[in-house]
Amino acid sequence: MLYLCMSFPQLSLDARQPPADEPVAVTDRRGARRWLIGCNSACFSAGVRPGMDATTALALLPSVRLIERSRPREGDALKSLAAWAEQFSSWTCYDAERHLVWLEVYSGLRYFGGVEVVRSRVEHGLAQLGYEACCGVAPTLEAAAVLARIHDAPTIEGSTDLVEALAPLPMAALALQEDVSDAFAGLGLRTIGQVLALPRDSMARRFDPDLVDYLDRLTGRRRDPRKPFRAPAKYRRTFELLGNVETTEGLLFPLRRILGELQGYLIGRDTAVQELHLELVHDGAEPTRLQVRSSRPLRDGLRLFALVRERLERTTLPQPVEAITVTVDVFVPLGDTQLELIEGGQRKDRDWEDLLDTLRARMGDIAVRKLGLQDQHLPEQAWCTVEGKERQPDGTLPDRPLWLLEPRQVTLLPQRMGMPERIESGWWDGEDQQRDYFTAESRDGAKLWLYRDGATGGWFLHGLWA
Amino acid sequence: MLKNSPTLPVARAAVLDQILRSQTRVWRGYGTAAVPSVATGLVALDRLLPGCGWPVGALTEILPVCEGIGELRLLIPALQRIACDQARPVVLIRPPYIPYAPAWARAGLPLHRLVWLQPSTDAEAQWAAEQILRAGIAGAVLLWSTTTADMALRRMQLSAEEGHALCFVFRGPRALRNASPAAVRLALHPATDALRIDVVKARGGHGGSVLCPLRCAA
Repeated sequence: MLYLCMSFPQLSLDARQPPADEPVAVTDRRGARRWLIGCNSACFSAGVRPGMDATTALALLPSVRLIERSRPREGDALKSLAAWAEQFSSWTCYDAERHLVWLEVYSGLRYFGGVEVVRSRVEHGLAQLGYEACCGVAPTLEAAAVLARIHDAPTIEGSTDLVEALAPLPMAALALQEDVSDAFAGLGLRTIGQVLALPRDSMARRFDPDLVDYLDRLTGRRRDPRKPFRAPAKYRRTFELLGNVETTEGLLFPLRRILGELQGYLIGRDTAVQELHLELVHDGAEPTRLQVRSSRPLRDGLRLFALVRERLERTTLPQPVEAITVTVDVFVPLGDTQLELIEGGQRKDRDWEDLLDTLRARMGDIAVRKLGLQDQHLPEQAWCTVEGKERQPDGTLPDRPLWLLEPRQVTLLPQRMGMPERIESGWWDGEDQQRDYFTAESRDGAKLWLYRDGATGGWFLHGLWA
Repeated sequence: MLKNSPTLPVARAAVLDQILRSQTRVWRGYGTAAVPSVATGLVALDRLLPGCGWPVGALTEILPVCEGIGELRLLIPALQRIACDQARPVVLIRPPYIPYAPAWARAGLPLHRLVWLQPSTDAEAQWAAEQILRAGIAGAVLLWSTTTADMALRRMQLSAEEGHALCFVFRGPRALRNASPAAVRLALHPATDALRIDVVKARGGHGGSVLCPLRCAA
């Protein structure tokens, strides 16, 4: 086995996606004490750092925005990351307390072409999602976690030299209880090798029995009992915004991440979407529900994002938005439409359909229409709008004007030309219609298509020979 | 200076002619500029237009005096060539009436290559037209616009240049009063069993008037 562990040192901050330009810090509290656990770059440049007291931070930088840590949101973020990571491995799991996500990489090594390739793809993907992360690769979960806590740690691939490779690493990288690590430091232990050299029996007696269990899992003496994470069959991701967002542009930043996560989820399950739902939660108003559709199955996060953005652009928000929920209920197979093997002509067709989807998202589904034919006698029923490709007309078509109008009654009858064409329909289903169609010329010179209604004798304009 | 030198040697004149010929952007007052085009299907009209046909990658403004005089039938041969021979989509944006599918199919346009956009505002129609032209996939865009803004047409002209497509803008006859950035402007008038086409403007073509015979309907 070989595991890749991602650790998220800034998760409490990254999970909230604060704006980059204003100083934001996340705080934790115990009793009356409130201290900083995460700071964005705007804080760092003003000298505000994690570990600092909240009052000190405010004294240094009065404009800093302090937000309370939210464990549920950190959990949501980790769960989404674990689902996202399924694109690299069928085995993922996460630790909500320690802000870690693991994935098993050995089984995919041949597919990805080496552990460094997987690692760089994971790191690149996390950076795109906007997470600060550090990766470690080792044969056991806990060893990978140790390496993920050390910057630029080497990859340990073989399990035989695991103990040897861990030995020179600093003791501080171990996940130890605070009192244990203090005691170890008091004993003068500096490296993991020194900790592992302690006699097992006395360690269980002197410290916690769990400590021995932990060290056994670290070195691979004992199997790690962690169960793999299974992403739910329906996709649902809620993101609570930091403060209320009043413009749709403000929603784009979190949506980009959500749809990037969705892409990983879709690749992991080898599926795609054609329809996703967006719910924008407002304070004191019904949530705004939006639907985004595409004509072909999609899994590309950027493409989905482009559609969502167009859809949002024609949305007016009744109230500021507090939270966004993205849901996908129906998944469809991707088919071969997104593989890079397709030919030029097909690619053009695909690009064309994508463009129409963009137009639909911006202007509404009803604004983008394709035309089709129907076997009906009445002219207004002989056409329809269709989705996708329409069959070609089989028989010969009658001569008809290029413009059709909603029938409108005319009182001043222009000069008629030619013989009438009688169109009868509906006598078999009670909607009897009998019309005599004429071509006529208006005084302006326009060629009109008129009919006289058999029942009422009234004249109607129905088309233009444009 | 050239005017003042009546004894310009023939050899030098030939060289000058050669240079001017190699510059496709210089219009010399006779013939038509060599720009990519799609034949209109009407030889008399082709002769007046730059590149002997509807200019590709440029804006053509169609100004019928009233609707229903044959303004669409005039374009059908070119649209049919684009949809069938070039297999490129034809887009109708904000037409004033329902494009009647049986008639378009009968005119030889494959319906699956025909897209009808009906955005709710003129601004959205402009936006859609620009998007489509920029993407460079559609072969022809027909836009019905009520805009009087010069800027909107200028933007269309720029997008048309990018898209290598035919771009027709239909406007009412009132628009004739103002200048336009379009490469070609045609005013259309009804005539007996025909359509009279006045070439109001043709960048790299000729002004003039043509009678286009129309097949009598029905």
